[in-house]
Amino acid sequence: MANSNLPRRIIKETQRLLSEPAPGISASPSEENMRYFNVMILGPSQSPYEGGVFKLELFLPEEYPMAAPKLGRICLDILKDKWSPALQIRTVLLSIQALLSAPNPDDPLSENIAKHWKANETEAVETAKEWTHLYASGE
Amino acid sequence: MDFEDEDGYTDAEEEELDSQGGSDVGGHLSEEDENKDCGHNHTALCEADIRNLQEQVITEVSSVLNITKYSATVLLSQYNWDLNKVKDDWFADEEKVRNKVGLMEKPVHNYPPGKKEINCRICFDDFLPRDMVSASCGHMFCKLCWKGYITTSINDGPGCLTMRCPEIKCVAAVGEDMVNTLISNEEIKRKYSRLLLCSYVEVKRNVKWCPAPDCDSAVEFVMGSEMFDVVCNCKYNFCWNCLEETHRPVECDTVVKWMLKNSAESENVTWILANSKPCPKCKRPIQKNAGCMHMTCTPPCKNEFCWLCLGSWASHGEKTGGFYACNRYEAAKQKGLYGEEEKRREMAKSMIEKYTHYYERWQANNKSRTKAVADLHQVETVQINILRDGQGESDAQLKFITEAWEQIIECRRVLKWTYASGFYLPEDEPEKRQFFEFLQGDAESGLERLHECAEKELVRFLDAKEPLEDFKEFKIKLSNLTSVTKKYFENLVRALENDLAQEGITSCKVQGRP
Repeated sequence: MANSNLPRRIIKETQRLLSEPAPGISASPSEENMRYFNVMILGPSQSPYEGGVFKLELFLPEEYPMAAPKLGRICLDILKDKWSPALQIRTVLLSIQALLSAPNPDDPLSENIAKHWKANETEAVETAKEWTHLYASGE
Repeated sequence: MDFEDEDGYTDAEEEELDSQGGSDVGGHLSEEDENKDCGHNHTALCEADIRNLQEQVITEVSSVLNITKYSATVLLSQYNWDLNKVKDDWFADEEKVRNKVGLMEKPVHNYPPGKKEINCRICFDDFLPRDMVSASCGHMFCKLCWKGYITTSINDGPGCLTMRCPEIKCVAAVGEDMVNTLISNEEIKRKYSRLLLCSYVEVKRNVKWCPAPDCDSAVEFVMGSEMFDVVCNCKYNFCWNCLEETHRPVECDTVVKWMLKNSAESENVTWILANSKPCPKCKRPIQKNAGCMHMTCTPPCKNEFCWLCLGSWASHGEKTGGFYACNRYEAAKQKGLYGEEEKRREMAKSMIEKYTHYYERWQANNKSRTKAVADLHQVETVQINILRDGQGESDAQLKFITEAWEQIIECRRVLKWTYASGFYLPEDEPEKRQFFEFLQGDAESGLERLHECAEKELVRFLDAKEPLEDFKEFKIKLSNLTSVTKKYFENLVRALENDLAQEGITSCKVQGRP
């Protein structure tokens, strides 16, 4: 079973995530696999994503913390070459939350949306609000 | 060995020196043009030689900048081993360079004095300071975490040469000294030192690794030398320019094209069958990229032909039913002469057949050469001893046998590459092709006789219980075959190097006959 020899660091991190969660972020390990986390990030206030609930899956690979957590398709330097073992799940999730407050259209996942954002930010913000309401309102 | 490179000449100076050296060598060469011997265009370097060269740069930076050798190594790694830039930048603004490469003079992080235990920010456990280690920045981590961090980084590859302190956003360098003290696994340490060596070789334009698999040696080339053939310590002969095995007299371009073709051929066949036709003149595959049937092959061929009937475009026009429909084709098709698919397949097949012809001969000579290398080894280690005792000959008298085998090996190599050349000879210069095939044929049949004689006729003397009278005859025969074959191949090589220009064809013939 993957849980039997979980490094102390992961256990400590998990305990702290549960006992002192960062504002707007919740991360809880799955029961079957303690390296697998269900994450929810609330859209930051004063951002187009306000009111939205964003669900993520986070996985700690065998090499963690020497290797970065795995987090789906998110373009974030600290998940790649800028990873440091002194970073934590909490710091990674805070960075993602910050990305929602200040998107980086120069390093996008979706080229089309980035183009839209650069060409007409007001309109793109409106679309983001709409989609947040449609797809991430937590129902 | 010449170590002067490292004495701080700029690149431009170095090149000038090198090319002077090169022209000197050229002067010697013309005297012995006959056997094209050129041992002066390169120096074979074993790993220790390269380490020495690297060590000299490190030592120089260490003494001039008054820093440890480990710091000098970090500095040079980050500066791509550019000695002059390191010195310039350092003396212009030492502090800036130190911050950039992460060689702090004083720790940037200090723990409160008297603190008994410090929390390791990687494993979250507490340790006594004496059980913890930091880089020049002062950020302490436990030894086990350091070990994991360094090992992961080294296993990730060359990035480990610019390894930084694990603390978030800290730029302090982690150098070879820390690797050596914290890592006990010899394999990991060896990997690190090898990567360090590679990073040095990579930026030196006059040093390249030997391309032979499992070979750790390199070759230092005299830049500006005309001849690219080099030999590594491991005896592998290769071309400095393209890193393929030695292929003189065939040009690098031809070799690269040929090797690429060999690797891509199996996948290409299907595509060629489905999408292209060979140009009726030069046989290169043509893909139709415009709408009309008027095809013009790419230069130098420039053949103009009709895509449908593959006839010459000059004979097309109103009489064949206009430019955009081919009567001949339509008529022939109605008579059932052109099953379109069938015809296309046939064309592609003829092209593949041409390739197969050359490839098989290239491959066969390659295998034959490999076998000959093994046979020569057998001759040198076993057979010479038997003959010395059995036939009562001295080592000097038996030299003709090793000479024969060396000739065979060299000829197989040349012959092999001439098949790559042959494939690319232009179809529209039949006289060149004829000349080439004539010389190649002579050379090949000479080589077959020599190879057979060395392989088959020697056996009898190896089995003999006592000296045989006709050993002298055998010696004369094999020696003659060796020198005749050598002549044939020299003619072939010379002709290819002159791009098969026809002058001298008669003298070649005369020279070539035994």
